[in-house]
Amino acid sequence: MSVAQDWLDSARERVRVFAQYDGPFEEQADVVVVGSGPCGAVAAYELAAAGKDVVLVEEGPPFTVRDFELDGNLSMTRTMREGGLRMTRGTRMPTMQAIALGGGSLVNSAICVRPPDSVFERWATRFDLERTDRASLDPHFDAISEFLGIAPTPDEVQGPRNLLFRDACRALGLSSEPIARNVRGCRGSGECFTGCRSRAKQSMDVSYVPAALRAGARVMTSLQVQEIRHSGRRATGVSGQVVAPFAHGAAAGAGRRGLSHRFRIDARAVVLAAGCTATPVLLERSGNLANASGQVGENLQFHPGVAIAGVFPEPTDPQFGATQGYQSLAFLDEGFKLETLWAPPPILSIRLPGQGAELVARFGEIPRMAVWDAIASANRSLGRVRARRGSLDPVLDWRLHPDDVTILRRALRVIAELFFAAGAEKILPGVAGLPEVMTDLAQTRRLESDEVRAEGLVMGGNHVFCTTRMHGDPTLGVVDEDGRCHDLDNLYIADTGIFPQCPSVNPMLTGMALARRQARVLADRL
Amino acid sequence: MLEALLLAALVFVLHRRFAADYPPAPIGLATLHRGEAAFVQSVAEVLFPGGAGLPVAGADAKLPHYLDRHLSALPRRQRLQIRALLLVFEHLTLFVPGDAPGGRRRFSSLSAPSRVAMLERVAEHPLSFVRTLFMALRAVLVLGYLGHPANLCQLGVAPFEIEPATSDAELLFPRVGGLPGSIRYEASDFAAPAGAPGAATRVHPPLDPHGPRHRAYLRAGRDVR
Ligand SMILES: Cc1cc2nc3c(=O)[nH]c(=O)nc-3n(C[C@H](O)[C@H](O)[C@H](O)COP(=O)(O)OP(=O)(O)OC[C@H]3O[C@@H](n4cnc5c(N)ncnc54)[C@H](O)[C@@H]3O)c2cc1C
Ligand code: SF4
Repeated sequence: MSVAQDWLDSARERVRVFAQYDGPFEEQADVVVVGSGPCGAVAAYELAAAGKDVVLVEEGPPFTVRDFELDGNLSMTRTMREGGLRMTRGTRMPTMQAIALGGGSLVNSAICVRPPDSVFERWATRFDLERTDRASLDPHFDAISEFLGIAPTPDEVQGPRNLLFRDACRALGLSSEPIARNVRGCRGSGECFTGCRSRAKQSMDVSYVPAALRAGARVMTSLQVQEIRHSGRRATGVSGQVVAPFAHGAAAGAGRRGLSHRFRIDARAVVLAAGCTATPVLLERSGNLANASGQVGENLQFHPGVAIAGVFPEPTDPQFGATQGYQSLAFLDEGFKLETLWAPPPILSIRLPGQGAELVARFGEIPRMAVWDAIASANRSLGRVRARRGSLDPVLDWRLHPDDVTILRRALRVIAELFFAAGAEKILPGVAGLPEVMTDLAQTRRLESDEVRAEGLVMGGNHVFCTTRMHGDPTLGVVDEDGRCHDLDNLYIADTGIFPQCPSVNPMLTGMALARRQARVLADRL
Repeated sequence: MLEALLLAALVFVLHRRFAADYPPAPIGLATLHRGEAAFVQSVAEVLFPGGAGLPVAGADAKLPHYLDRHLSALPRRQRLQIRALLLVFEHLTLFVPGDAPGGRRRFSSLSAPSRVAMLERVAEHPLSFVRTLFMALRAVLVLGYLGHPANLCQLGVAPFEIEPATSDAELLFPRVGGLPGSIRYEASDFAAPAGAPGAATRVHPPLDPHGPRHRAYLRAGRDVR
């Protein structure tokens, strides 16, 4: 038998999927990592590579290419929590969190950006952090970039809707660049959101999780962690129940909410990487754990995003091209980042105006469309996460701050100007109270006016932060600079919840870099 | 005795108003009941009229079936929210009939022009809460209508035909719900594991922007014609 086959057989032995659980069970490990998103997967790999006995626990199932659902809406019911219909309260905004092996990396656009120095300077000065600067994190950024093949998107797979953005930026004298992504051999199918059938995207299920298995880790999927077990200042492990894949659907069997056999995993250290909206809920459900500071679940931040669709005189072949291939960082100092965007057309079309024949005719313009978006560094817009009664789902209370409305107005105006600079014949701003269609530059001024109100904005917020924030002062934060909870000796948090503030750019790479650093520290301590 | 009679009369009237006289549900629905199906169909007919540029009209897009699939896959809370939306808009016209001819009737019993008028009213309602609810209902239907394979094919935005690739995930994990014994791949199926430091890059040619679309979509598109 070949070495590769040997490896494969032994790795398969260390994977558990739903169909294999036939009763309650207990396991032991050096470290249990809860959550297999970008942060948890990196932590699990680093710890296993350092020779630790690691169990990586994930509530969702692994997806193979044949499990991907091409209809974007139906896909969300399988890959996203609450079927993709999660909303914030306060200021209403949809927000999506994945439930799958690989977490958000399975469905995201693979954008990997290092935050600028200024972000880390802000973090250091306001949150008493000494080692979280760009220079300290660069070796981790470099190692992850090498591992995942992170590179700028090549022109061959940009397609017109991304390249038009580049041309628009050039025309207005703004800097822009092809987006660096964790992909190998992107084919430009524009379907990152429903799963990469070409397996070009280096989501965690095809990269760090297999590497962790290769390094000796065990990977247990379809397990819902419900409690962090602890005694005094020490976490002793986790416990929970087996959960059927897609258990939330009406068709799911196996008892209430698809839950069945109980499990317990004892470990010398616990790493919580369940994601920014789930980790605080787990801590709350475990007896308000690690919360002497009162900061667990507080400080919730997003990068709220707004988008505009532009219609060009010529076809843009929008289905072709990297899902998000071009960006501009020209306005980072003003508080927003510009990007191109694509998603399954029915999802993008929800916001198209009109009804009846007018609406159907509008659909006919999709082949000539491009969609560009802006995400805002909304670090004044705050909220909190609490557990929903009788469930592990979170209640997300969040309010958009008036200053951040101003930033979003400005961003909308810039996007509109870019479209006209690129030769668009019209734009569809999708802002309540403003014209549904704008056909010339003069009209775009209204996008930056008081007419644009918070409740009139159509926003989305899939970048979530700060609910277990890192702070040098134990009275003001939940974890220290190594991700260790101030209140416990061996409980670590490794997800975007530990960011002290929103990072101004797409967060996945920063989360992974912090997780890599933490895992190495933890491995040394064990 | 009189109270019982009055109660029975009330139940009868409410039943007639709210639940009776719906056409039988289309075959094959698992979650949606016939009243909901009738409502969805009646909105689809006027929201997405035929002859406006896409091959499938709202009336023929089988939206009750699409929504049924969607609802069946949703968690209970979200399923209830969407069903509440259907209930509210179907019965709103019993209480707020508007100036359209036909009086206080359920939405699905209104004439097509009355339905159009009603949709326009709620879309432009002064209360943002009502507009938001309507947008939610509209969104659910747009997803099903535009997602119809024939419509996406006609627009040239159906998913590409792509031979599913084999990565470490396909080697390591069975399909969702399956046992490891069902994995069809061996190590030799995949020579260059992704993710491993120094792994060779697999080179896929970029897709042809005008290349073939997913065969299931094309088939569905042909069936319509
Ligand atoms: C559609 C979309 C597109 C995005 N695009 C980008 C992008 O291009 N670039 C970028 O930088 N960011 C992007 N993001 C954001 C990015 O994906 C997230 O910031 C990132 O995934 C966060 O990583 P994480 O490890 O903190 O958490 P997650 O990725 O959320 O992973 C947490 C994991 O924990 C599991 N889990 C939760 N609770 C439990 C429990 N009780 N028991 C067991 N397991 C549990 C979850 O199922 C999940 O798999 C996008 C997000 C979305 C939704
Ligand atoms: S654009 Fe298509 S091929 Fe490229 S990474 Fe995304 S899903 Fe994969």
